[in-house]
Amino acid sequence: MSALTITDLSIDFPTTKGVVHAVSDLSLSVGRGRRVGFIGESGSGKTTTALAVMQMLAEPGRVAKGSIVLGDTDMLALNEEEMRKARLRRVSYIPQGAMNSLNPIMRIEDQLWDGITAHEGTTDRAELKRRSDEALESVGLPARVGRLYPHELSGGMKQRVCIALGVILTPDLIIADEPTSALDVVTQRHVMQTLKDVQAKIGAGLILIGHDMGLMAQSVDELAVLKDGVLVEHGETRQIIENPQHPYTRELISSVPLVGGESFLDDEIGAPPVNRGKPGVPLLEFKGVSKTYGNVTALQPMSFKLDGEVPKIISIVGQSGSGKSTMGSLMLGFNPPSTGQVLFEGQEIASMNAAKSLEFRKQVQAVFQDPYACFNPFYRVNHALRFPFKQFGYAKSEAHIQEKMEEACTAVGLDPALVLGRYPHQLSGGQRQRLIVARALMLSPKLLIADEPVSMVDASLRATILKNIYDLKDRYGISILYITHDLATAYHVSDYVIVLYQGHVAEAGPPEEVIGNPKHEYTQLLIDSIPWPDLDRSWGTPSTATEDAERLDRLARENKTEFRGRVPGFDLDVA
Amino acid sequence: MRTIPTSYLLNRLLTLFLTVFIAATLIWIIPRLSPVDPAEIMLGRMAAGAGAVADSEAILAQLRANFGLDDPLFIQYLKYLCNTVTFNFGLSTATFPTPVSALIANALPWTLGLMILSLIVTFIIGNLLGALMVWEESPKLVKVAIPAAMVFTSIPPILSGLLLMWIFAANLRWFPLTGAYGLTVEPGWTWEFAISVLHHGFLPALSIVIVTFGFWALGMRGLMITVQGEDYVTLAKAKGLKPRYILYKYMIRNAILPQITAFALKVGLLIAGQVLVERIFAYNGMGKLLYDAILDQDFPVIQGVSFVIILMTALSVFIVDLIYPFIDPRIRHEAST
Amino acid sequence: MTDASMTRAERRRARRIRRFDNPWLNPKLFWGIGLLLGIVVLGILGRVFWDPELVFVGSGIPKLPPPGFENLRGQAGTFTNPLGTEGSGRDMLALIIIGAPNSLFVGLLASLIGMSIGIFLGFTSGFVGGRTDDVIRVLSDVMITIPPLLILVVFQSAFGDVSLTMMALLIAGFVWQSPTRLIRAQVLSMKQSGYVQMARLSGASTWHIMFKEMLPNLVPYLFGSFIANVTTSIVTAVGLEVLGLGPQRIPTLGRTIYEAINAGALIQNLWWWWGIPTLLLAVMFIGLLLINLGLDEVSNPRLRKLKL
Repeated sequence: MSALTITDLSIDFPTTKGVVHAVSDLSLSVGRGRRVGFIGESGSGKTTTALAVMQMLAEPGRVAKGSIVLGDTDMLALNEEEMRKARLRRVSYIPQGAMNSLNPIMRIEDQLWDGITAHEGTTDRAELKRRSDEALESVGLPARVGRLYPHELSGGMKQRVCIALGVILTPDLIIADEPTSALDVVTQRHVMQTLKDVQAKIGAGLILIGHDMGLMAQSVDELAVLKDGVLVEHGETRQIIENPQHPYTRELISSVPLVGGESFLDDEIGAPPVNRGKPGVPLLEFKGVSKTYGNVTALQPMSFKLDGEVPKIISIVGQSGSGKSTMGSLMLGFNPPSTGQVLFEGQEIASMNAAKSLEFRKQVQAVFQDPYACFNPFYRVNHALRFPFKQFGYAKSEAHIQEKMEEACTAVGLDPALVLGRYPHQLSGGQRQRLIVARALMLSPKLLIADEPVSMVDASLRATILKNIYDLKDRYGISILYITHDLATAYHVSDYVIVLYQGHVAEAGPPEEVIGNPKHEYTQLLIDSIPWPDLDRSWGTPSTATEDAERLDRLARENKTEFRGRVPGFDLDVA
Repeated sequence: MRTIPTSYLLNRLLTLFLTVFIAATLIWIIPRLSPVDPAEIMLGRMAAGAGAVADSEAILAQLRANFGLDDPLFIQYLKYLCNTVTFNFGLSTATFPTPVSALIANALPWTLGLMILSLIVTFIIGNLLGALMVWEESPKLVKVAIPAAMVFTSIPPILSGLLLMWIFAANLRWFPLTGAYGLTVEPGWTWEFAISVLHHGFLPALSIVIVTFGFWALGMRGLMITVQGEDYVTLAKAKGLKPRYILYKYMIRNAILPQITAFALKVGLLIAGQVLVERIFAYNGMGKLLYDAILDQDFPVIQGVSFVIILMTALSVFIVDLIYPFIDPRIRHEAST
Repeated sequence: MTDASMTRAERRRARRIRRFDNPWLNPKLFWGIGLLLGIVVLGILGRVFWDPELVFVGSGIPKLPPPGFENLRGQAGTFTNPLGTEGSGRDMLALIIIGAPNSLFVGLLASLIGMSIGIFLGFTSGFVGGRTDDVIRVLSDVMITIPPLLILVVFQSAFGDVSLTMMALLIAGFVWQSPTRLIRAQVLSMKQSGYVQMARLSGASTWHIMFKEMLPNLVPYLFGSFIANVTTSIVTAVGLEVLGLGPQRIPTLGRTIYEAINAGALIQNLWWWWGIPTLLLAVMFIGLLLINLGLDEVSNPRLRKLKL
């Protein structure tokens, strides 16, 4: 028997420019105890469909036709009060933004209790306490968490609380809307395993909404692929992954970069690398650099020398809080180091005079994570390209600037006529990030710091932008420090990889060694936690989650570094 | 309930202390910068008003002592600070030799009563209406009627006071024109007196309420719109909680926090507005005392009243600051880490 | 598609959508500015077409109502004094022609000075940081709780008469706190923003970052804060005048109300005496409120969706 049956569902959003069909003629059923993944890009209608089940469509959306039957209840026929009673009890929702999904001024247990009280009327404290403790325990949280406030929990813990809430009344159907999108891979794996575990225990149907084919492959039984509100493919996960029928499905599967898989970079031999380094003087040098904020150590002492004679891409890989972004801001001179020196071409950044500092700025540029924030909303996007070009004295005339801007845009695959002269909000995230790459290209620095350059861009565009950045190395002789949390892309683009954990170098060496055949436990854990669209690969079992947490604690204390060989022109040392 | 972190408490105490200190200093310095001798002016005014001033030497001496004109400046200042801390503001020159503190003690309860009634009632009504304007389930009438009333909320209470006085007191004669209680009633714990007080207090309170509730309503509306879009409200709905419960526990409870901070920032202006309302209604509070003192150039009273009102403001802010950590657990956390 | 081929409803809808695109063109802002300009125009045209000398005592019969009304003594209003006269025979029309722009002037001047101090201190605090920031922050926290009215009462009772400009200067000393706090908070958050970091990478000077990158984005907030301060300044000025302080020789709306109350205008039903200045002040405050609501829509796009 199926938990949810959707027949011929269409959802419309009337807007001033006409009716938008968010979902058209969608039919699907979710069996009891089955896990169904809804996959598609933003705007594909996956969340809209799920919200329609709960009658929680955002204004002015409405169901135009079709039916939604949960068990034997016609959900669309329920009145408001009946629908309210059905929520949580019959169908529960695990939201996307776990960070903000809990009321910040209520204790966790109160937020579990009010759900029970609203549906069962129970107000007996002892009974409520017993139920909430039980629910927290089922998701692997100790009972004392109930007494805490949301801001006292980590992201992963908050998401588990949301899962506990989702199963506390044993509903027939659980809808989980990208429950792990804000979490790093290790936590993501734990949360997903917890979710699968509790769902199996209560035997509810599960709809998992997401955009990551790897995560889906490791988590669900059936896949429903949505594109522009249309269900383009539906079937058993294995069948879809191994034998995708629709081109869009194939695109989704291939957009997940694999470690050791086929490279997304084409190996055409470009012009020979340009030598722009000063012989004998390293381009960038860290001398025993560390950084502490208050009593928190963001980066433990480390030293390295990067010479600029042969341009290279050095990847710095780590989870949030590993100190990788701190390294980036030290190299850019935004922050002075707590101990040691950061030198650029033999000059200490912190003690440069105005003229030296301008020269340093000319030679060291960056691409940041958030392409939305990098443009001043007050100006047209040209400002971001024109201003530094003039400031550094490259500009000969307005016509020269214009010519250079158009050239740079074309080089990163943008049509200058479409993007130049626009305001930032008129461009997509991908276009903006490419403009920032174009900016770096125009200035042609010796060193480029790319801090998570693709983490906020749609998956289909990531490969293109990384390719743009990669081209900078060979074609323009720019050395690049690629800061990322994504081991798979680091594997493909870099010449050398540094894995950071809590401000300490865990493992370092060429990517084939460090990522292809990790020796350090932490690197192994990271790689094991990445979900891949490969059904035969083990993604661990729920019991390993707690063990992993203990392992992480132990590794943080150990401070061990695995050196896995070196590349010419880059020397790393810990201390 | 956990206690307030010490660092937070010390910080607030410092602000309170500085506020009172700066206010007291300003009140002391300003007359000294004046090219005219306030003591002489006051005596002149008294002489002109009463024809002749009996005991003028004593008053002049008192004035001089009050301003401490004979001591070196620094000593004068220290003495003044000591006196101020002990609420010793000297003697009134208009009703010589009544101590200023006695006059203030008589007026203060009336002002405090009116303040608690009007400021707090306004805050509650305003925020509730502002919340209802955004809430999906509230009746249509609320969404139409309140915005229309909002236009008047920019007007300071003194103007609405004049209008209400003219309509309800001068023309309709439903309420007495001035005073805090009837001339024929004897003050005391009697029903008659209580009714008279309420009857007299109604218009002043109303003139504050009708023009200031909109300020809170507008602010609350903006905050509620933000809170409405928060994920936790969406999840609360998905939990199947009752709409009214979501309104109180999830929406208002979060949106009210910045409003309380705003209350602390605004309380000074609100109390000043109330002082003016008291003045036009000749209500027996601090406003009337201040106004009479200005008419009589009764400088010690002006100083005393100003200081006490500023002290009241600073204390209100301090109390709000003390309550705040108990309603926003995040403050307790931040301060302790 | 040309305009001619569109129906009237289509054109109206197109206009509404355009207006939605540019938040500065909202009706509230438009009406608010219109009301304030009306007062300025009244001041200018009044001086041209009416005799400002009539503000002096005894230029007409005392307590004369506007035409069409009778006062308690049975005197009917005439067109010599179209808005009537007050207790000592001064012409009400001349009074508001001189008085209303004066109130606006005090508000604008005080707010302008306060704003300039606020911008200076806010940027200093946000950029310099450290001890300077601590001092400015604590000082503005402290000064924001002190009601300006009371300090000014002390000042004016000690100094006696003041000029309009002097009063504006005094009020300005109490309206710099909220812009300081606002700008400081905005500067601190903008310092972390991507575009400011980009500007730093581009070798921009601190000066460039402050005035070219940050300030343009602060404009809607600055305007909002400015208008709020104009309101506060006028309320404070009127408050002083109603207490009988403020300029003694220049006619102001507040002082007219003060005299009306003292003369018992309410009981004698001389409504034009206190009512007309009250009405003008009300128009001024409503205009300021509308501008502020309009500016809110500019800086907070979410408000635009809901109709007020």
